[in-house]
Amino acid sequence: MADSTNVKKSSPLLIAAAWIIVIIPTAWGLDYTVKNALKIFAASTPTPAVPAK
Amino acid sequence: MALAFLDRDRSIAPAGYSRWLVPPAALAIHLSIGQVYSFSVFKNPLLALHGADGSAWNLKEVGYIFSIAIAFLGISAALFGAWLEKAGPRRAMFYAAICFSAGFIIASLGSSTHQLALIYLGYGVVGGIGLGLGYISPVSTLIKWFPDRPGLATGLAIMGFGGGAMIGGPLANNLMAHFKAAGQPSIPYTMVTMGVLYFIFMMFGVFTIRVPPTGWKPEGWVPSVNHSALISSHNVAVTEAWKTPQFWLLWVMLFVNVTAGIGILEQAAPMIQDLFKGQISPAAAVGFVGILSIFNMAGRFLWASVSDFIGRKGTYFTFFTLGAILYFFLPFSRQDKINSIPLFVAIAALVISMYGGGFATIPAYLKDLFGGYNVSAIHGRLLTAWSAAGIIGPLIVNGILDHYVENHMNKQEAYPLILHIMCGLLVVGFLANLMVRPVAEKYWLKDQNVVVPAGAAH
Repeated sequence: MADSTNVKKSSPLLIAAAWIIVIIPTAWGLDYTVKNALKIFAASTPTPAVPAK
Repeated sequence: MALAFLDRDRSIAPAGYSRWLVPPAALAIHLSIGQVYSFSVFKNPLLALHGADGSAWNLKEVGYIFSIAIAFLGISAALFGAWLEKAGPRRAMFYAAICFSAGFIIASLGSSTHQLALIYLGYGVVGGIGLGLGYISPVSTLIKWFPDRPGLATGLAIMGFGGGAMIGGPLANNLMAHFKAAGQPSIPYTMVTMGVLYFIFMMFGVFTIRVPPTGWKPEGWVPSVNHSALISSHNVAVTEAWKTPQFWLLWVMLFVNVTAGIGILEQAAPMIQDLFKGQISPAAAVGFVGILSIFNMAGRFLWASVSDFIGRKGTYFTFFTLGAILYFFLPFSRQDKINSIPLFVAIAALVISMYGGGFATIPAYLKDLFGGYNVSAIHGRLLTAWSAAGIIGPLIVNGILDHYVENHMNKQEAYPLILHIMCGLLVVGFLANLMVRPVAEKYWLKDQNVVVPAGAAH
């Protein structure tokens, strides 16, 4: 077992960088999708209820 | 062995290595292979291609590309799961990257020479093998790094698979527009570019992934002694697991959950336009599909994380009770009933979050029942339920819709029938979940030398 006082822990910067690498493309895709998704509320034109044929 | 740097022994984490580096590595793989969900962006451009003799492909022929890829996902996950346990996640991720990227390159050749068989072979078979290898490769490693929160860990990775379409769709669209504007063949160039980009991104995962040293556990974490009887402290080998009733009950649960989700996902855009005639534009329908993608992704993380607190059985109990109720009431929100688009969207989004949650919670459920020893291999075999649902789900949905159209019946009336069939399927899942009991002792691994990963804390 390694001596815990001499253990070199992963740098928080390295951990943050690893997360940024996956968050950036995800955020880009999410932004694109949300902008499209909002069209459902912006583009819908409510009409009165009509009975089914 | 060739490429020795990929060996499991060479990827053991040094002391002090943070387990929080492992989820990004897994996400890099799942965000890449999740691109398959956005393959439909290639459909229309492929249909517009013509061969030297003027021939063109039809929608059915192009549709098979996605089906073959998903079928090979399930087949390769089932076949290579046991190999993955020995070879380690780094080698499996590396081969996944090679196959997934090569699939794009082969498919690009097929599109430039107008040979559909090459696209089937490339994106479907070779790429599909990459999907299966990539999907299962980080699962058991994550469970070993997060014995205190296996649901959260696997949810994080599998969330990436749901989110991959959000990146792959716009990436393909933008690349095709770019190459078209530059006067270059848009589909082949886009496929080659995506193959290269995804390979580089997946290599980040390959070189970041580490397996924990033997006996590792989170600092200060003590496995709880008071946990559910369903959480086994014993291991079951993959060769025994599939003989247990528990494996087949979970297979049925995954199958019905995926089939029900496909009931909405398969026809999301036309469904909302048919149920709210004249109220939803095509652009708004695409927006609805986008909302479902977001909830599919978010549900994977949220429900799997919740399962760490309420247990796997409790989580699936929620899916199959709340889900069945929501599927039953969803058609009543339509135009000629309550006529509420926000209500329809909210219910559909919630049920799709549970569809995603079902995928993400199943690895932790398997780990609870069968232990961590062969969880990747068992998970791989269970994913055949996904392949089966990928065939049966569209057959139910398209079969009913075709029947209504061919018989000149109101198509709007087909959707309540489809959704109520899905509701019935969830009741079957509810019963299967209710029947899950701890695995019998006769299936436990007898080899005392096997290192037993610690159980979850509930």
